[in-house]
Amino acid sequence: MADPANSPLGRMLLDEITPVVMVIRTDLVEEACQKNNLSLIEMLKPFCAFNNIDVPVRTASDQPYRIQKFKLRLFYASEIRQPNIEVAKERLKQVITNAGEKGISDLCTEPPRIETVLTTTQSELLPSWFPFFNKELVHTVSFSDHEAFDHPVACLLVVSSKDEEPINKFVDLFNTDQLPSLLNDGTMDPKIMKYYLLLHDNQDGMSEKATKILSHMRNTFGSNDCGLMCINSSQDGLVEHQENPWTLDKTESSPGQHLGCFLNDDDMDELKIAMQDLSSKHIIPHMEQKIRFLNQQVSVTRRGFRNQIKNLWWRKGKEDTPDNPNGPMYTFSSIESQIRVLGDYAFMLRDYELALSNYRLLSTDYKLDKSWNRYAGVQEMMGLTYFLLDQSRKDAEYCMENAFNTYLKIGLSGQRNATRCGLWWVEMLKARDQFKEAAAVYLRISGEEPLHSAVMLEQASYCYLFAKPPMLRKYGFHLVLSGDLYKKCDQMKHAIRTYRGALTVFKGTKWSHIRDHVHFHIGKWYAFLGMSDVAVKHIMEVLACGHQSKATQELFLRDFFEIVQKTGKTFEVLKLQLPVIDMPSLKVVFEDHRTYASSEAVSVKESLWRSLEEEMVPSLSAIRSNWLESQPKLALKKYKESNVCVAGEAIKVEIGFKNPLQIPISVASVSLICEHSLRSDETEADANSLTTENQNDDRFRNLDSSGWCSHDNCRECSSEKSSFTVSEVDISLGGGQTLLAQLTVTPQLEGALKIVGVRWKLSGSVAGFCTFATEMVKKKVQKKRGKTKRQMVDNLEFIVIKALPKLEGFIRHMPSAVYEGDLRRLDLVLKNPSEISVKNMKMKISHPRFLIIGNREVMDIEFPACLERKTKSAWSDAHANDTHDDRVFIFPEDALVYGETPFIWPLWLRAATHGNISLYLTLYYEMGDASTVMKYRLLRMHYNLEVLPSLDVSFLLRPSPLQLHEFLLQMDVINRTSSKTFQIQQLSSFGNNWEISLLQPLDAIFPSELLLAGQALSCFFKLKNARKSAITEVEDSVVGPSEGSDVSLRRGCNEPLFDIYRPPLVGFHHYERMDQGTSNQENPNTVDLILISLQSRSEGNPEQRDSPNFFSHHSCHCRQDSFFTFTFASTSPIWWLVEGPRTIQHNFSTSFCEIKLKMTIHNSSNEVSSIRIDTSDSTSSSNATTSVPSGNEEGWHDLSVLNDVKATSVVKSASQECISPFIWSGASSTQIKLEPTSTTEIPLQICVFSPGTYDLSNYVLHWTLLPSDDQGAGTRQSSGTCQGHPYYLTVLQSS
Amino acid sequence: MIVCVAVVGHQNNPLYIQSFTEADDALKLHHIVHCSLDVVDERVNNPKRSGPTLNETFLGLLYPTENYKVYGYLTNTKVKFILVTTDLDVRDADVRNFFRRFHSAYVDAVSNPFHVPGKKITSRTFAERVSGIVKSFGLSSAG
Amino acid sequence: MVREVAESCVESLLTEIVSQYCNGFYANKPDLAARRIEAIGYQVGHQLSERYTMERPRFSDHLEAIKFICKDFWSELFKKQIDNLKTNHRGTFVLQDNKFRWLSRVSVAPSSENTGSIQDPSAMAESKEAQATGMYLYFPCGIIRGALSNLGIPCAVSADISNLPACSFVIRIKA
Repeated sequence: MADPANSPLGRMLLDEITPVVMVIRTDLVEEACQKNNLSLIEMLKPFCAFNNIDVPVRTASDQPYRIQKFKLRLFYASEIRQPNIEVAKERLKQVITNAGEKGISDLCTEPPRIETVLTTTQSELLPSWFPFFNKELVHTVSFSDHEAFDHPVACLLVVSSKDEEPINKFVDLFNTDQLPSLLNDGTMDPKIMKYYLLLHDNQDGMSEKATKILSHMRNTFGSNDCGLMCINSSQDGLVEHQENPWTLDKTESSPGQHLGCFLNDDDMDELKIAMQDLSSKHIIPHMEQKIRFLNQQVSVTRRGFRNQIKNLWWRKGKEDTPDNPNGPMYTFSSIESQIRVLGDYAFMLRDYELALSNYRLLSTDYKLDKSWNRYAGVQEMMGLTYFLLDQSRKDAEYCMENAFNTYLKIGLSGQRNATRCGLWWVEMLKARDQFKEAAAVYLRISGEEPLHSAVMLEQASYCYLFAKPPMLRKYGFHLVLSGDLYKKCDQMKHAIRTYRGALTVFKGTKWSHIRDHVHFHIGKWYAFLGMSDVAVKHIMEVLACGHQSKATQELFLRDFFEIVQKTGKTFEVLKLQLPVIDMPSLKVVFEDHRTYASSEAVSVKESLWRSLEEEMVPSLSAIRSNWLESQPKLALKKYKESNVCVAGEAIKVEIGFKNPLQIPISVASVSLICEHSLRSDETEADANSLTTENQNDDRFRNLDSSGWCSHDNCRECSSEKSSFTVSEVDISLGGGQTLLAQLTVTPQLEGALKIVGVRWKLSGSVAGFCTFATEMVKKKVQKKRGKTKRQMVDNLEFIVIKALPKLEGFIRHMPSAVYEGDLRRLDLVLKNPSEISVKNMKMKISHPRFLIIGNREVMDIEFPACLERKTKSAWSDAHANDTHDDRVFIFPEDALVYGETPFIWPLWLRAATHGNISLYLTLYYEMGDASTVMKYRLLRMHYNLEVLPSLDVSFLLRPSPLQLHEFLLQMDVINRTSSKTFQIQQLSSFGNNWEISLLQPLDAIFPSELLLAGQALSCFFKLKNARKSAITEVEDSVVGPSEGSDVSLRRGCNEPLFDIYRPPLVGFHHYERMDQGTSNQENPNTVDLILISLQSRSEGNPEQRDSPNFFSHHSCHCRQDSFFTFTFASTSPIWWLVEGPRTIQHNFSTSFCEIKLKMTIHNSSNEVSSIRIDTSDSTSSSNATTSVPSGNEEGWHDLSVLNDVKATSVVKSASQECISPFIWSGASSTQIKLEPTSTTEIPLQICVFSPGTYDLSNYVLHWTLLPSDDQGAGTRQSSGTCQGHPYYLTVLQSS
Repeated sequence: MIVCVAVVGHQNNPLYIQSFTEADDALKLHHIVHCSLDVVDERVNNPKRSGPTLNETFLGLLYPTENYKVYGYLTNTKVKFILVTTDLDVRDADVRNFFRRFHSAYVDAVSNPFHVPGKKITSRTFAERVSGIVKSFGLSSAG
Repeated sequence: MVREVAESCVESLLTEIVSQYCNGFYANKPDLAARRIEAIGYQVGHQLSERYTMERPRFSDHLEAIKFICKDFWSELFKKQIDNLKTNHRGTFVLQDNKFRWLSRVSVAPSSENTGSIQDPSAMAESKEAQATGMYLYFPCGIIRGALSNLGIPCAVSADISNLPACSFVIRIKA
């Protein structure tokens, strides 16, 4: 390692441990010096340090050596005493404060990055005031009595030549009462070497007088202990010194006075010479010979074995003395003091071996004497000497540590000594690059006193930084600690400085808990100093601290706003983290040729619209080409990469704001940042857009650099031109909440519009904004996931084309919820704000079953009156009707929409089935004038409809047992609503080939016309096949008069019936058929039934208007044979009917009962068919009956239940007397031949043995069509088997 | 008692840090853990420490702060486990045992397919398991 | 606690992964599929290495880590050790497994078998069977890479099939 003397410690020692000269002077002397604004000592000081005073020195050993560096420390006698502690403290505080003031400048700058910190050298990183502070710290313990190097070596007596009788002055000056205590209390030898200096001020005339006095002095005090020094030779006092030697020392010199103004060069030389020979001719020789003398003394008394023993004995003798903390009192005459003096002198004259040997000697003594203070002192010196000798660093450190601990052991008195010792020790370690240990020592000397320990901790932290390898984390930690201490003694600037240092450590890391703390406090402290900008910048870092506790978040936010308010202005912050912008949620909605009536229409999938519109719109490519040829200026790619929007139509942007905190925040005036560039001509446009790009590029750049910029100069960027207008919304976010903000920008002029980003204002004081462009990367990633919405988002550039007509449309009184079957008229209302008219309107509806387009006539007729039957309309027009619809509805040519007058067109709504249904309407229209870029536009409407169950109608059809070609129709109606009451109007069968009539009088089945909520109704009708009426025999049991396809279910039959062949009923019925129809082929044997009912106006519910709600329930394809499907083919050509008595009285006691039956068989087919009837006995009949319920027909079911009961009873009886209750008598099988469309009758007979009710259905009909020669077997089935119809016969026992 | 345990990733990023004190000294504990990383680095990169202890996962007592004792453990994957305790006489065996269990808990936590390597460990199961280990610290030796 | 999974499950899982990625997700982009599979392997290796290096002193150098992979890691995975380890002492290691478990069920048509012998690996390379088989090796490659990189050794791992079911993994450590 380098020469220890050149190490910082070495220099410090050569500076501090040097001979002290006590200066005593008269007031006149001081006066003369003050002319130069300097005190005597200040004047002399620069000349007391010699870099190469080349003086030969000979100490104890005989061979001399030369010393180069030498220094005298001058003190006034009054100063030579232990400084007052309080004063010292004040001094230190002052030092720190001043340092802080100096450091203020660089607090504004950005804290350096950690890498740079690591590369910077100690000297420039360490605050420059540390050495100075340490020095002051060392001085607080100077002139302690146990350390001889602070004891004055010589006394310099200075008297001015103006003093009268100067000789006496000299004598008086050195009188004991004002001498420092050191000399009086016998700590040091009062017989101190003296030097008499006569100071002459040349401004008081020539120096003869002075020389006279000098010679006089020589006689009195001895020739060579006297000297004369002349100053102030320059008369005018305008001497300018280049490198003024005093400025270094006199830091606090006010600029006006300049130092040494009366001292010209001769004076300087004189001063220099005077000091030089003072030290070289007097002090050094004096010390030499004192060393030699003392050394001789010591060797006499102490060296050699005998002395050692003696000394030991002697000390042992002193053992029993009670040891006071700093050991026994040692006078200067005591051998110990002498050794110490010897050691220190040797040290000061660089004879370290000598010094060391003596210190060693001494330390043992003090140790034995338990005078710890002195022992520690000596140990300290030993350590230093070891260091300077640069041998055995272990010993050196050991000694230092030993001294340190001993000082501490003494307690409070030793505290400050310990500190000094520690400082030296630290320096020693530093000089050997043991920074970690050094830091440890710093920590040990950082006492309780906060300010002091703050400085020590800071120094320690730097040690950690300089350690190899650097221990950055500890560096940061201790900086934080010291920062807190600084803060505690409100040294704000230091606190900030240290925290900034710490910040460099924590910045990059993920240790957010610590980082937030640091940022936050720096911020607060800056604010305290009034540097709000930086403060805000720092606290900004911690705003989005979701990981922190709620309380902390509140604290952060509150202080942040306080600071911001204090600044008074609002800040613009790029990427303010509060609230967090949820970029993936960014959604842009704009209308090019597709326009939307409502927001929910937007959210519908594009594909769905496309499928709906494909027949209406010309192919897309054609459209593009149209645009291009109409606007050759605009290059193709422009349209490719950027969306088209229309001037004056808003572009909606949806973006999510997330509040990361648990506390609510309010975000005000959220709006989009956009750029608009006129694109009148291509090149010009590019240039223009380019310029705009640039200008706000660098705007963002300077935002990045400064982090904020003042409010006004950013306002202009949002709405610089009136070329577009942006909307502003306010939102307030609860804790952890995410909201979607709906923002719009409306371009006013054609050109290019670019959405740059979004801005917002956080609780009225901080405006943040964030650019979308920066997030593009993210979006690309998501695009890879293949979301269709993304493409729209991906480019936020729009080409604004000139204003076009845009239809606005809605459906007037569109209900949100209706009851099933509800049929009502709605109005489609279209508006066209612009002047330009539109033409070729077409419309398509997704669910014609629910919503169909009316024709204009119905507009003025009120509903449902328009449905009432005028004349019996023909079957044919129904057919005519159901050919229309299903395709696009084209509005008549004269339907022009323009101006404010709304265009109204009727729509029919019928709730076909219950459940939720969403209806899509899309309206196609073309521009009135062909000059526009867009040829056509689309208006898309979307409505959600909830259909509640109302009446649930089910029909059952079964052949009437009485008549051929006649059927029983059972209608079950259940009112499923909770509150509504319905009024059944009429039942109509669709198509002319069915006649329907009531089976029973109306009031019998349906006393009150109203069907209350939850009420059920079932009634029977007779359904007559009008086509087959060729063969009918009419015995009429029917009451209901109304023949025909409609039957009214109202009491007062005077009211006209509704005509089901009018639109919209027929239209809806058509779609119902299509919907319900399994097979759409016209099957004459199926019937469509329509039940019409009104919701009675009795209860006043709000949605009920003056006209009662009209309901129609359609059930199509009710098939007469539908419940036979499990027995035989859907359409059998054979009908038959069993006729005979129903109830018979018979006396079984006499004989069994014989009953004759007649079966009428009709062959409806036009081929000859052979039929065989097989009757089976009752056992099979019983299971035949039981087998019946397995059929899926309700009608069967409830009938056969009561039958079952009987049957089982019958079977039981049968089981005990094991004969069947009845048998078919006569032929068990009959074969007949039947001509086409002919009827025949077959007699049947059964014998009954016991009373009871019997089901005579246990026979089977086999039929075969015999294909006649003229035509082969058609599609219809050529043979089949039928179970017998049920025929119930009740036989009663007659008395 | 154990005041704080922490898992620190191989980039010295905190993966999991949990303090078990009522007092609000989270910040201090963070600092202590953070500083202990310095010592860990020193221990590991220090060439003159040699012999069997060199590559042992258990690093032993890192440094005693004024009133804490900080132990360290460094896995093969450069993940550090830090244990901060207040009791003064801690048996080495206990600490080793603790770290072994802690490590296995950690391994199970990161084996969760939904855990992103290098991100903080948020699994509640892990937290519960760790607190269980902490509670049982030292008891194993006692009983 | 020791959780064990039937070997057959693992193998069929691997088969499924490969088929799903090669024929399902990235049917026409084999390299992409390979990367995905390798990534899966990476994660697995990453986690396994964490588990299997418990209770074991830290590795002082790369060789130790590689040895660990060859011995303990491999036997944890495949109940056998790597049969042969070669290195060029400049950061490249070749681990040869003479009967790699996940290839033991793979059979290659004899035609490509004899072309796929060592004397001309080029023919082997372009033969379709080789490519199909190679797909099964991205997963173990990923495992090795994941394990090593978790041990702080960034590297690139490739595999080639000399003749089934032997295969060798080449580890190139990124300096």
